[in-house]
Amino acid sequence: MTSVDAALEERSAPAAGRAVSRAHPAGRQGDAAQAEKGVSRAAVLLQVTASLLWLPQAALLAMAVGGIAAGEGASAAWLPALGILVLGVARSVADGAGSRLAFRQARSQLSALRVQAVAALCETSPLDTTRPSSGLAASTLAEQAEAIVPYVARFRPARQKAAIVPLAILACVFVYSWVAGLVLLLAAPLIPIFMALVGWRAKQASEEQLAEMGSMNAFLMDRLRGLTTIRSFDAVDRTANRLRASAEDLRRRTMAVLRIAFLSSAVLELFAALGVAMVAVYVGFHLLGELKFGAWGGKLTLAEGLFILLLAPSFFEPLRDLSAVWHDRASGQAAFEALEKLAQSGRHLVGASATPTSLREGQSGALSLSVEDLRFSHTAEGAPVFSGFDLHIQPGERVALMAPSGEGKSTLLALIAGLVAPDGGTIRIDGRTLDDAGAADLRRAIAWIGQDPHIFPGTISSNVGLGREGVGPKQVSHALEAVSLSRLAAARGPAMIGEGGFGLSGGEALRLALARASATPETGLVLADEPTAHLDRETAQEIAGSLLRISAGKTLVVATHDPVLASRMDRVITLQTPQTAGGAL
Amino acid sequence: MIRSRNLRAVAALFWAGNRNKLLAGALLSLATVLCGIALLGLSGWFIAATAIAGLSVATALAFDVFAPSAGIRFLALARTASRYGERIVTHDATLEVLAELRERLFRGWAVAGAARAMMARPARLLFRLTIDIDALDSLYLRVMVPLFSAAGAALVAGLALGFIDVRLGLGVALFLLAVGLGVPAFAARHAERPARRRAHALEVLRARSIDLVRGQGELVMAGRLDAQSMSIAEADARLADADDGMNRTETGVSVALGVAGAVLLAAVLLVVATLAEAGQIGAPVAALALLVALTATEPFAALRRGAVELGRTLMAVRRVGPRLNGEESAPANKIPQDAGIAIRLEGVTARHPGAAEVALADVSLRIERGERIALVGQSGAGKSSLLSVIAGELAADQGDVASLPATLFTQRTELFHDTLRGNLALANPAADDDAMLAVLGAAGLSRHFATLPAGLDTWLGEGGAGFSSGQARRLAMARLVLRDAPVWLLDEPTEGLDRETANDVIARVANYASGKTLMVSTHIRREAEGADRILHMNNGRIVADVRRGTADYESLLDGLRPD
Repeated sequence: MTSVDAALEERSAPAAGRAVSRAHPAGRQGDAAQAEKGVSRAAVLLQVTASLLWLPQAALLAMAVGGIAAGEGASAAWLPALGILVLGVARSVADGAGSRLAFRQARSQLSALRVQAVAALCETSPLDTTRPSSGLAASTLAEQAEAIVPYVARFRPARQKAAIVPLAILACVFVYSWVAGLVLLLAAPLIPIFMALVGWRAKQASEEQLAEMGSMNAFLMDRLRGLTTIRSFDAVDRTANRLRASAEDLRRRTMAVLRIAFLSSAVLELFAALGVAMVAVYVGFHLLGELKFGAWGGKLTLAEGLFILLLAPSFFEPLRDLSAVWHDRASGQAAFEALEKLAQSGRHLVGASATPTSLREGQSGALSLSVEDLRFSHTAEGAPVFSGFDLHIQPGERVALMAPSGEGKSTLLALIAGLVAPDGGTIRIDGRTLDDAGAADLRRAIAWIGQDPHIFPGTISSNVGLGREGVGPKQVSHALEAVSLSRLAAARGPAMIGEGGFGLSGGEALRLALARASATPETGLVLADEPTAHLDRETAQEIAGSLLRISAGKTLVVATHDPVLASRMDRVITLQTPQTAGGAL
Repeated sequence: MIRSRNLRAVAALFWAGNRNKLLAGALLSLATVLCGIALLGLSGWFIAATAIAGLSVATALAFDVFAPSAGIRFLALARTASRYGERIVTHDATLEVLAELRERLFRGWAVAGAARAMMARPARLLFRLTIDIDALDSLYLRVMVPLFSAAGAALVAGLALGFIDVRLGLGVALFLLAVGLGVPAFAARHAERPARRRAHALEVLRARSIDLVRGQGELVMAGRLDAQSMSIAEADARLADADDGMNRTETGVSVALGVAGAVLLAAVLLVVATLAEAGQIGAPVAALALLVALTATEPFAALRRGAVELGRTLMAVRRVGPRLNGEESAPANKIPQDAGIAIRLEGVTARHPGAAEVALADVSLRIERGERIALVGQSGAGKSSLLSVIAGELAADQGDVASLPATLFTQRTELFHDTLRGNLALANPAADDDAMLAVLGAAGLSRHFATLPAGLDTWLGEGGAGFSSGQARRLAMARLVLRDAPVWLLDEPTEGLDRETANDVIARVANYASGKTLMVSTHIRREAEGADRILHMNNGRIVADVRRGTADYESLLDGLRPD
């Protein structure tokens, strides 16, 4: 494999949202079993019945032609015509009802799987290094998961049809002619053999190749994101040509694979077409009296011969359908795997699913914080960030946490907020232990200002309120005023901000986070993670002022490397981590 | 109006791509369908004819078995071959069109105004673009090709039956066209709303999932994590609703076409029975007619998916089309005529597209060759806008801009999913390996480079993933050095780097910038310290222009962030 191949392969995985790992064979089987159960027996039965209804319909058609040949009048055709109509309608309706039922069941299975995966994502700590990126999680949950519906809805009915319908047809054909039956019987097993020979594998390869086609989109996106640089280097033309050339190259390689891959379906087509042709020719020669054998000693009638001919294409149809859903199966199983991977929970977030027991009343006042014998390391084999760490903060104290590298202080704040469960030790806030049961209640008393505050799509006001109970328009406007955002909020009004805070400067985004934190006055502990990083001096000063203002009368813990901010605190704690991280570069 | 213009733009793209291939694909598809109809029709005729001929020995001996049986075998093979050809040609043609589309879109976005708009677009819209591109392939594969072959099949079937009886042929062709095209067309209209709602709900589901993962800390601290899960479930419910609507329509098309097929079959049976009674036709022709009627409805079923997805496809056409239509010209900056001047701005006013306020207000500026300028001021004061105007990224509404060729070192490191060599060659396609190694060394990347087994062929991930932010910044610097433009515009070059790396990068920039005109926008003292002049910006204006050695210069420096 060339490096280009390797790179494309590597990228095609997240780009197309494919599951890279195939490390869970057990899970895979479990998924397959789940997919089997996804569609009820009724849905399958309806669809199989619909296919089988073709048998009487074909019989009526053959009999009608036989009648015409026998010189029966047009009046004799009324009954078969009516039968054909009724059976045809019944066939369509049964098939429609069956596939609707299958679709609905498959769709509700998808909803259930999404709920499971979302619940698992909630449980996983944001500090877990193995947690999928937001982009990957979103494309797995949204686009990739969609592949489950066609797989679940179609695979089992198609497989059942392929198992039952050809046998039923074969039985009917054998009743009249063992030669015609034999022709079909011989053609059918040859199909999988030849398909396997020419390209079942090639087909898979073609799917991977098509996934690479998806990576062409990633290529385009990648270059579009860096347009300024490309323009600055006068490289627009070169990049466009390069984009075209690699798309062309990919097309050539894809077509090379597809030429072989399509051969496998051509084999199926060929055998189906030849099967029909051979049956037709045999029946013709037999009726002409040239081939006297094959009809159990007798001679077929026109109606019988035509009946056999009409059944021949339907014999191959379920096989063709099955090979068509094979594609759905591959992407459906990949989707199952990817969702399952999302659902694997790693590091635990404390009390993710807990709900607060009661509404706290009034101001909680400044809270104490104590950390005892804290142990934590990011990975099981990694060096510990904390081991036997103790910290005691009095109610109302304002504390700066400083550390040589960024790691330890942000992690400590996250541990105090319960964003990640410690490996050992206890954290007590206001004397109450932070655990799964109590976390939700305790968090009502904590205000959190993260390092890179997430701005949700919505208005400035909705970003402050976050739909919290007890945070009405009054509280929101109060909070906005406290951080000098009122003017901006008034100017933007109902305008949407968002996705990553587009339209807000760094300072404004931070002010918004401060407003968010101050909107619930009952909090007694404020945790702020590097609030002044990446800001210019004036803005940093204003932010520091706002932070002190909103935490008046509360306990404040700030992780920072800003000496100016630290100097405004009551106490500076310099963290001595067991191991100092190496140079960043 | 706009809709049809966009549709025309997209159709023109398909047409310009390779019309022969597109036509060949559609014709092969028609041939496949016709071979299938003929195979069954001929077989039915053959069986009925032989059955009648076989009744007496004399007619049996006189019957020419070889032409029809050879015909049947030929059709069986021809059908397989044309089906294979169809799949190859249609896929090839589609891939070619999509390749062309990507190039055209890139060029469409690469004009100055669009490029800025693209930068400002949230990732959600960028992502939408990729989905739109994918949605377009169904226009040819699922709409045009099946439409052509189904309609063609209906006409040919009508023609064949017309030889038996003109009224029969006309009736069958009209019925097939009316029902076979009418039902999918009705479905397409019916499914347009759910198709749009589906696309929207999927985007919402995606956005909320991103919010859940990225905003998990905020959500759990605010006690809103459960609410966010619920909102995802709610988006899924709406998606399920739209899915259900589309599935209902799609199944409805299948059922309707199935019923229409049954009606047609029963009707043709009655007609041929009547014709046979009247002695106009015999049983073989009756069998032929019935089997043609039976198979001619099938190709219309292929329109089902395309019809249901048509709403989505047209939405993509509407979004992508304008980028294929518009050809805007990039603003090219003049070269300053006065000797010794690198950059000259006269009364420049500029605003970002769609913005109410001006980004630059009446800015005049002369910068001599070789000068080093620091640009300071609060976020939003207009520093980046000034650099953009000089780089030709942002067009001036009023005033005059002249600059020697300038290279912009963007605030965000923009590296690409490409080899190290490819990333460097972007700056200078003529550079050889030695030149590249030299600039990597100049940027302080020699030691890291030595650890890469693939050397210059090492692949960087998307957006330069795989390199730390410090390494990425250095690599961007190496690229800048390789460019060797007379003017360098650096937008916050060491923001976000630790002090040690930052100082090293600054020292190296200073080293390689000798003889160049340098303009650095910054908040940080270390980046401004070496400047000959400091420009202080506020509200889109230059409020102070001070030279080294003055008291104002020192006080501006002191106002910057220390670290």
